[in-house]
Amino acid sequence: MLTGKKTFKLKKILAGLLSGLILLALTGCSGVFYIPGASYGYYVWEEEGNIFIEWSADRKDSEFEGEISTDGRITSHELKEWEDEDTIMTSEEEIKFMAVLGSEDYSDGFSFSLEDYSYVEFDLKINDGYDLSRINLGGFLETPGDNIFRIEKDYFEKLQKKLWYQKRPFSEFFYKLFSNKYFTFLYLFILGIIIIEILRITVFDRRKRKLLWIVVSYTVLVAVEISVYFILKFLVS
Amino acid sequence: MTEDIFKRKDLTKRFYKYFLAGLLVRLLFIPFFFQRDLLSTYQRAAETVFAGDFGSSFEQILTHIIHSAYLFIIKFIFPAINEFSPILLEEDTWISWLAFNSSYNVFTVLTLFKILYLLFDIACMFLILRLSFENEPESRLRVFKFWVFNPVVIFVLYIFARHDIIGVFATLLALLLAKKERKYWAIFVLALAIALRFFPVMILPLMVFYLARTKKDYIILSIIGISGLAALELFSYFYFERSLIFTLLNAQHFNYILSSSLELIIHDRIFIFVAAYVVIILSFFHIKKKNFDILLNYGAIVYLAYVSLCYFHPQYVLWIVPFLVMTFIRRKSLIYYHWLQFALLMVILIYWGDLVTKFVFAPVDHKFFVYLTGVIPIIERFYDSAKFVNIFRSIFTGVSLWMIYLIYRDNKKLIENEPYNSTL
Repeated sequence: MLTGKKTFKLKKILAGLLSGLILLALTGCSGVFYIPGASYGYYVWEEEGNIFIEWSADRKDSEFEGEISTDGRITSHELKEWEDEDTIMTSEEEIKFMAVLGSEDYSDGFSFSLEDYSYVEFDLKINDGYDLSRINLGGFLETPGDNIFRIEKDYFEKLQKKLWYQKRPFSEFFYKLFSNKYFTFLYLFILGIIIIEILRITVFDRRKRKLLWIVVSYTVLVAVEISVYFILKFLVS
Repeated sequence: MTEDIFKRKDLTKRFYKYFLAGLLVRLLFIPFFFQRDLLSTYQRAAETVFAGDFGSSFEQILTHIIHSAYLFIIKFIFPAINEFSPILLEEDTWISWLAFNSSYNVFTVLTLFKILYLLFDIACMFLILRLSFENEPESRLRVFKFWVFNPVVIFVLYIFARHDIIGVFATLLALLLAKKERKYWAIFVLALAIALRFFPVMILPLMVFYLARTKKDYIILSIIGISGLAALELFSYFYFERSLIFTLLNAQHFNYILSSSLELIIHDRIFIFVAAYVVIILSFFHIKKKNFDILLNYGAIVYLAYVSLCYFHPQYVLWIVPFLVMTFIRRKSLIYYHWLQFALLMVILIYWGDLVTKFVFAPVDHKFFVYLTGVIPIIERFYDSAKFVNIFRSIFTGVSLWMIYLIYRDNKKLIENEPYNSTL
């Protein structure tokens, strides 16, 4: 039999797990999270001084081909889930690779270490074309601007400093709320009125100074509206 | 509000509380989610309003007229809608969908588009309040609550954003008129409902059997019942030079009714829903002491049989709700089964892929939800997605058939005039 305390603990753990899952679902493939054989695209990240590049496809035949070069030196590389038909050529300045994925081959990748470098240049193709939105540099939808792109040495460090509201989907959501502010404030105001009305008939009606509570509620609502304006302004900027 | 509720202050307060809470839940979803079909509906309306093409929605002309009229009104009140005309008139569905979702004022436009459904939903709330439980204000209020907080209603109208509520409203109005024994008006409004969405045609025989008192009634009411469809057929024949009925019969949607079948030999095949439907109709026909509650129960049975045995789109489940909320009062266990149906529906809809899963959230951030890994590829990675969904589909059918059985038992009690026990 579970005691009340234990049940409460269990509930807390379950709630924690659930919120974790929801957060994960909301942020999508946050960081470099991807599901081999389900996710589609390139995933690039840095770990303990090594740069990892992996790719995955949704079990359909896909070809991943690319070149990576640097102004420094590539000192070593390590392959991951590499098959016979996949090729890689490495030198101190560049890496060239070509790999195919299919119904049985979910993902491939490699990692490499660098020395004395200020940037790394990538030229990554999927099925002989560019699809920049499918290249995730250190995070989901942290995509490059050009077909051939460079990342500076401290790129991943800077990316880590990015706050949750600067990342998708929150950044876009807050942007839309702020750029459409007349709607946002009217919408919040209507929601506020409904909440105050519910409070009025359920809570305030039982109290003595009913009118005072209503006035206070509307004052709070106006304060919330003003705060939301400044919060959104801050989040968007 | 009905008079019996209005007379009691405690019930009036509860009514107002449910109404406000229901409104709050609805408003929370209104600006942020939609399924692609909403945009298609308004794109067809835009072709009429902005481009003057009336024939853009041939199959559902009345629903199309309502949407066109509504778009025409809101474009005057909110000129911002005019900015959307290039998006709405864009022929490439993918480009228009992307442009719509990436617009900075997508939340405003979505809200305006869905307010039409909110208005019909509110109208349905007030109709449903009057539909049954005469002189039982507590029960009426509970029916109201079941509609206001019904997950299927909220999902279909405010997350999925489909227009079935317009047809449901006309059907409820027809039922209310039937309750008040206005037989010709009831059937006339039902004919209108059929012209709006075609689904109410399934309860037309029930209504005719319930309302008809003489042999002449059967003939007259049946003719009025199909008059809406006949009028549309004539209109389309002369205006579009095409047959509406044959277009519908040959459409994919009609095949949904025939989707479950029993192969016999050579060409011989039994369409399971059609056979089940005939049994349901005949069993209603042979009830001597028909009353309005039994009619409503049979409505629930028909639509439950449809979603149990036929291929359906998620929004079709809305059609069972107006009938089910009545049965909840007499059989509490049906509420839990209905919630289970809803939970199962959330899994079943995975079947339709990105369009009805992640893309529903696209107004929040279209790029994020376009590139987010879909549910189907994730399931496919570990297990056959069709099998996975169909396991839940089968459970859904099992639950729905069990609900039919419970309603059937409720019918027996109603026929025998036994007092009901809501804890059953």
